Amino acid sequence: MDITYVGESLLPGKIGQFFVILSFGTALLSCISYYFAAPHKEDRSWLNIARVAFWINVAAVIGIGSSLFYIIYNHLFEYHYAWAHSSRSLPTHYIISSFWEGQEGSFWLWMFWQGLLGIVLVFRAKSWESPVMAVVMLCQAVLGSMLIGVEIFGERVGSSPFILLREAMNAPIFSDPNYLGMIADGSGLNPTLQNYWMVIHPPALFLGFAAMIVPFAYAVAGLWQRRYKEWIAVGIPWALFAVMVLGAGIIMGSFWAYEALNFGGFWAWDPVENASIIPWLTLIAAVHVMIAYKNSGHSYFTAAFLAMISFVLVIYASFLTRSGVLGETSVHSFTDLGLYWQLVAFNVIFLAIMVYLLVSRKKEMPSSQKEEDIYSREFWLFIGALVLVVACVQIIASTSIPVFNVVFGTKVAPPLDPVQHYNKWQAGFAVVIGLLSAFTQFMKYKRTDVRKFYTAALASLVVAIVVTAVVVYITKVYTNFMYILLVFAAAYTLVANGKILGDAIRGKWKLTGSAVAHIGFGLLLIGGLVAAATNEVISVNSSNYIAVAGFDQVEKPGDNLFLTEGEPTQMGDYRITYVGDSVAPPNVYYKINYEKIDEETGRVTESFQLRPFAQNNPQMGGLVGTPATKHYLTHDVYTLITAAMSEPHQQGQQGGEQTGFEAYDEPATYETNIGDTLRYRNGYIVVEGINRNATVQNIPRKDDDIIVGLKLRVHAATGEQYEAEPVFLIRGGTTFDLFKDVEEQGLRLRFSNIMPQKDKLELMVYQKPLPEKKWVVFKAIKFPYINFFWCGAIVMTIGFFLSIFRRNKEIRKERIKPA
Amino acid sequence: MKKSSVIAIIVIALAIAMIIVMYADSSTYSTFTEAKEKQSELYVVGVLNKEKELLYNPTVDANHFSFYMYDNDSTECRVVFRGAKPQDIERSEQIVLTGKMVGNEFHASKILMKCPSKYNQDEIEVIEANTAQTIGFVDTPID
Repeated sequence: MDITYVGESLLPGKIGQFFVILSFGTALLSCISYYFAAPHKEDRSWLNIARVAFWINVAAVIGIGSSLFYIIYNHLFEYHYAWAHSSRSLPTHYIISSFWEGQEGSFWLWMFWQGLLGIVLVFRAKSWESPVMAVVMLCQAVLGSMLIGVEIFGERVGSSPFILLREAMNAPIFSDPNYLGMIADGSGLNPTLQNYWMVIHPPALFLGFAAMIVPFAYAVAGLWQRRYKEWIAVGIPWALFAVMVLGAGIIMGSFWAYEALNFGGFWAWDPVENASIIPWLTLIAAVHVMIAYKNSGHSYFTAAFLAMISFVLVIYASFLTRSGVLGETSVHSFTDLGLYWQLVAFNVIFLAIMVYLLVSRKKEMPSSQKEEDIYSREFWLFIGALVLVVACVQIIASTSIPVFNVVFGTKVAPPLDPVQHYNKWQAGFAVVIGLLSAFTQFMKYKRTDVRKFYTAALASLVVAIVVTAVVVYITKVYTNFMYILLVFAAAYTLVANGKILGDAIRGKWKLTGSAVAHIGFGLLLIGGLVAAATNEVISVNSSNYIAVAGFDQVEKPGDNLFLTEGEPTQMGDYRITYVGDSVAPPNVYYKINYEKIDEETGRVTESFQLRPFAQNNPQMGGLVGTPATKHYLTHDVYTLITAAMSEPHQQGQQGGEQTGFEAYDEPATYETNIGDTLRYRNGYIVVEGINRNATVQNIPRKDDDIIVGLKLRVHAATGEQYEAEPVFLIRGGTTFDLFKDVEEQGLRLRFSNIMPQKDKLELMVYQKPLPEKKWVVFKAIKFPYINFFWCGAIVMTIGFFLSIFRRNKEIRKERIKPA
Repeated sequence: MKKSSVIAIIVIALAIAMIIVMYADSSTYSTFTEAKEKQSELYVVGVLNKEKELLYNPTVDANHFSFYMYDNDSTECRVVFRGAKPQDIERSEQIVLTGKMVGNEFHASKILMKCPSKYNQDEIEVIEANTAQTIGFVDTPID
């Protein structure tokens, strides 16, 4: 039976779905038309169709995005995507992040960037437009198919972001026509993604991924159209652009992980991170070999291969992160949306194009008969590219263990300590790359003057050794030979490229980009190494540490420190105090004061407060902590809450001041005399005297009343003093007593009896049970010199940017030359 | 043969050798019984014993969390984790431990949990707890 649902707005979804189909159709049409336009240069009819289809495709992609944004922005929870990824309380800028939290949104982002790059190509590619755009639009069509979400021959193709909640899920509430009224809010955005870096990191990353297709498309076009030599020059700026943007995107992700995730670091060799760095490294190798070919005519096959494999690896990265194949090996891979085989097909299509062209055109490829000279730049660029490829092979092999398990039916587990596993290999490669990017700078293409080379290389080497010694000494990484070697390689890169940069400023401006990029790489290497090698957990638990039998001998003291509110603890150089928390729903901020104290004077020389926070989000699985970091020029102090007192528990303590005796522990009853001193938990009480003329408020004194007050002085351990005078009263043969509270100390005092025969006064002391103080468990890590890492990344990006300019200028010059 | 070809072959050989060596680093998913025999670091997959108490008392030791887990052979073992209690472990439907057997206790250095996802039973959300990387709010026993 059909149910007429109340309150659904189905139009935006229908429009969105229309755009999805339109974008797929036009992409396919455009791809085919461009394919036929490529060999027919005189007949422009194919080209015209292709262009029209392309522009409609761009419009359709924007239409998809707008519809989806409209749905999320207006909280239309009848749509699964809005319901699963956003909530009403989400601020607008995080609605943008929720847009690409899901796979569909990130596919859209990719399509969007690819569309924009397509626009640039349509205007700028000139004679390359048809073959290059044919490839780009093929990819656009494949991406478009990921969003279709219709069943063809019983197989669901794609996953539409416009699917309705009631279509996506089977729940009893959907039998109610008014089910929308019962859905108060969406599931919300994962708290770790509620970070401003998450607004900007995915677009940068996907622009990088999308840009990778352009060098691929140029390589395909070059081989396909047999314009073997031409594509390299026009491909280089695009390859540099892709490398720059993807590199920036990866570093932003790394910075996000450092700032917002509880990884405890900036790089964890997580499969998702690896998946994005692999194509980046191969494309860097490609750029170098392409430049080598352009200048020397050597290594053509390698250049074409690397430019193409990089994009295939981008697709492989999508497969790894989106197909669910990583399973339990990664923290943040997407789950399988049923696109598994579609993603495999995506890989196979582009791999097949690459293999076909490389094999079928192998014989026609330009090759140099002359052998490279050992003292030539192209030879070492080639070697460097190979080393990068080998480094990638290692990362791919280790990351792909789950894939091998699926393919071969094995059950191999990934290395137990991935960071150590990857570092062991990659450190070696980094050393070689560092050295290569240093001395190759002194080589010339084709033939180098050997004596000049050795003079320059050795001079820089000596300077580099001095720099290494200084850096190693200051950063204290001399404990490990590999560290020293790495610092040396990085320092050599810095010095050699610094010299080139010096020359560049003096007029050889062409070399600026390369020199700056390599300097950035050197800085990044040193910063990364030092921060990773010498970061130390400073919250080492020593005072509050209770031995557990048979356990402590094997393990080091724990990394977590227990802090009670208001009780300062010494932690390394800092005296830290947990001073309470503030709630800004949905986050709880834990305020932790850090104070540095001068040992001699006892003065506080420096103090700051860190507010790591945690978000209680039951739908996302409990509490998620976000670190807070204090940045210094030379190091960072990173603090993360790992456990805290549960909230209901806290509320139970605060709420409802109880005034009855049940709020107190069992009383202690003392028989005292004047002058006695009685202990209580936080100090002592002195019985000072008796007040025979005590009056009691609201009780007028009658003649035969006996009203006696007991003068007490409460001395708290902290130094404060309080006076209290509980009263004992006899009226008409009946005894009463009136207690007095010393609230600050949680005391209630009763003068309960006078025992003349014993000459004693009976005093009952009630104490409130110790209020359980608020506590947090936290971890603090010091990252020395991490700023070199970020700084290096920025410098490297600038270097790439300058290189793009240079290479673009070269193309323009070449275009003018023949004319 | 050209120098570059020779080098390329050497590099490819090196890469293959590297992949083979890589498998020396790789591990296996095993059980408590095996862990006891091997006495080396490995992965154990299993489920939490929800009947028994999960012990985490940060006021005593913020770096000690212990619980009982059944491995895939349904062998039960006490697991000790040097760190804060990972959030939501009670909800987990599968646990992957990294660590080794010490006496009759399994000392975990890493806990990886699979929790039923927020909105769909078919979809699985993975949460990782490295030594003290996730946060857990804990009820302290009231006395």
